[in-house]
Amino acid sequence: MMTDFPTAFLFFAAGLTLLALPQGRARSILSLIVPILAGWQIWTLPEGALWQVTFFGLELELMRVDRLSRVFGLIFSLAAFLGNLYAWHVRDAVQQVAALLYAGAAIGAVFAGDLIALFFYWEGTAIASVFLIWARRTEGAYHTGMRYLIVQIASGVILLAGAALYWRETGSLAFETMTLGSPGTWLIFLSFGIKAAFPLLHNWLQDSYPAATVTGTVILSAFTTKLAIYALARGFAGTEILIYIGVVMTLFPIFFAEIENDLRRVLAYSLNNQLGFMVVGIGIGTEMALNGTAAHAFAHILYKALLFMSVGAVLYRTGTSKASELGGLYRTMPKTAIFCLVGAASISAFPLFSGFVTKALVLDEAASAHYKWVWAALVFASAGVLSHSGIKIPFFTFFAHDSGLRPKEAPTHMLWAMGITAALCVLIGIFPAPLYAILPYEVDFHPYTSGHVIGQLQLLLFALLAFGFLMRTGIHPPELRAINLDTDWIYRRAGPWLIARVVAIVSTIWGAVAGAVTSAIRGLIAHFYRSHGPEGRIAHIWPTGSMVLWLAVMLGVTLLVVYTT
Amino acid sequence: MNDTEDTSGFPALGRAMLWVDKPGSATKIFRALAVLCVFVFAAGFAVDMHGHFAVESFGGFYAIYGFVMFTGLILVAKALRVIIKRREDYYGDKAIDREDYPEDQLEKLRYDD
Repeated sequence: MMTDFPTAFLFFAAGLTLLALPQGRARSILSLIVPILAGWQIWTLPEGALWQVTFFGLELELMRVDRLSRVFGLIFSLAAFLGNLYAWHVRDAVQQVAALLYAGAAIGAVFAGDLIALFFYWEGTAIASVFLIWARRTEGAYHTGMRYLIVQIASGVILLAGAALYWRETGSLAFETMTLGSPGTWLIFLSFGIKAAFPLLHNWLQDSYPAATVTGTVILSAFTTKLAIYALARGFAGTEILIYIGVVMTLFPIFFAEIENDLRRVLAYSLNNQLGFMVVGIGIGTEMALNGTAAHAFAHILYKALLFMSVGAVLYRTGTSKASELGGLYRTMPKTAIFCLVGAASISAFPLFSGFVTKALVLDEAASAHYKWVWAALVFASAGVLSHSGIKIPFFTFFAHDSGLRPKEAPTHMLWAMGITAALCVLIGIFPAPLYAILPYEVDFHPYTSGHVIGQLQLLLFALLAFGFLMRTGIHPPELRAINLDTDWIYRRAGPWLIARVVAIVSTIWGAVAGAVTSAIRGLIAHFYRSHGPEGRIAHIWPTGSMVLWLAVMLGVTLLVVYTT
Repeated sequence: MNDTEDTSGFPALGRAMLWVDKPGSATKIFRALAVLCVFVFAAGFAVDMHGHFAVESFGGFYAIYGFVMFTGLILVAKALRVIIKRREDYYGDKAIDREDYPEDQLEKLRYDD
């Protein structure tokens, strides 16, 4: 029975059903049941192309189940469950429906077997998710949401254009591995790259995620970018340029994250950095590297959600997520602090935590393929992750100087959401085998060798030592109330400035031209008025006399014409 | 930390962690970390690191790389801040950085509420 319809439809139906239910617990319960049903359906579905629909003569493949799509479908269902549990208290129908539709669209996209179905779901994630930003209901959130929506919709439109060209080139719309080269594949690649937050295309992420609601950011963090990672893994595995794009992605955000004040934006930069590891894995493209990408996406969704949840809980209780305003909260929010530390240890890839057993897959593949500089950059980026997500987030929120804030511990449902997520982070770290078992390819990898463990501990502990040293010597930059420029400057400052300049120049020229034309016409009118107006010279002659004269001239001319022809 | 503050109302877990703010605790933690570092540094020479690159065969490679690169990262980030830091109202009043989070969507409570 469960194979009778695509998983995405379950979420869409639930979105409609939710509106029919009275506001209150019933809606929250529905939001929890649906991801469980979806996860169970995905778990039990056989592999293969299970559901087609004909649309304007096109055969759309809505349920292509294989090992790659299954692992993403499962983690998306799990993320939807945890996010909705965290949002149990929300009594805002807009957010509740948006969260369901967004998760549904993301899962739909993962199971889409052709580019057109992918396009529909791709745009679906954009439209549903923007409401999680707008639901903040402030002017700033409205404007940020607009910028987010424009970028996301543009990604979809580029995907559609790419799909159309690809269809002309190959005669096929099937979403399979492609080779970069033709305009169509480049457009599809660009479309995926926007959503995956490639360098220079990345800033929608850091701009928008901190603008969403407390719970909205947790939900946003799971889907859009990892959908893009899935799409890249499906479409462009082994594309070498991705290795270098991925390396840049792991590197540049760590510098920005280090000096960013809004902790939810720090996490958005950190998210960008983690995507870099996945993109490198896709670029390498071997079976183990793709396993690494899928495993890292799985673990990353959990610990990233956990970190966003803990900072969100602080925001929910204190009204701010700015590092400069926080500090010392462990006193009254100790459980949230500990969950945050688990998330921090997981993303930093400490042994026994999830990041360790998943990131190692990608790093090991980069090393065994002898990408020396890539490997060196990734190891550096791993130390960088520790600096912002491992240290900065927990340290400046829950420890460091005492802000004097004494907020109450997070609400029970948030603690449950964080607790389950934290437990999963630890379980994956200690027992990686079940996760390895659901990866796209056979895994033959042992993360807990003495060399791996000691090497990683050396890297992290000495980086911590450096942090301690820099803090004690006062070299470490303080947390300041400020923002930092990024590429959004181009469309938030330079673009409007340029448009204002162009408007000024064009209106000056227009004013001058229009003024000249107007005064010329005025002059002409004045001239005729002088001669033909009531006071004009022509008006002095009695008109009947001149008319008779001109009539005589005309008759004379007619006579001449008649005689001569 | 305010010495006169009554901490008896804090959650037990929070009270248990209060020692981190006692005078001298930070130094103790730092020293403990330093001891741990010495231990893992030495361990690097005791175990087979069997890496893919020649640098990894040196037992202390990850330690030195971690320390140096982390320090470099902080220094570069600090320099970057000089160039890209702007006031919070740089993008005007319609930016979230200037707004307070809407109170009606929060449940701001003190621990003793």
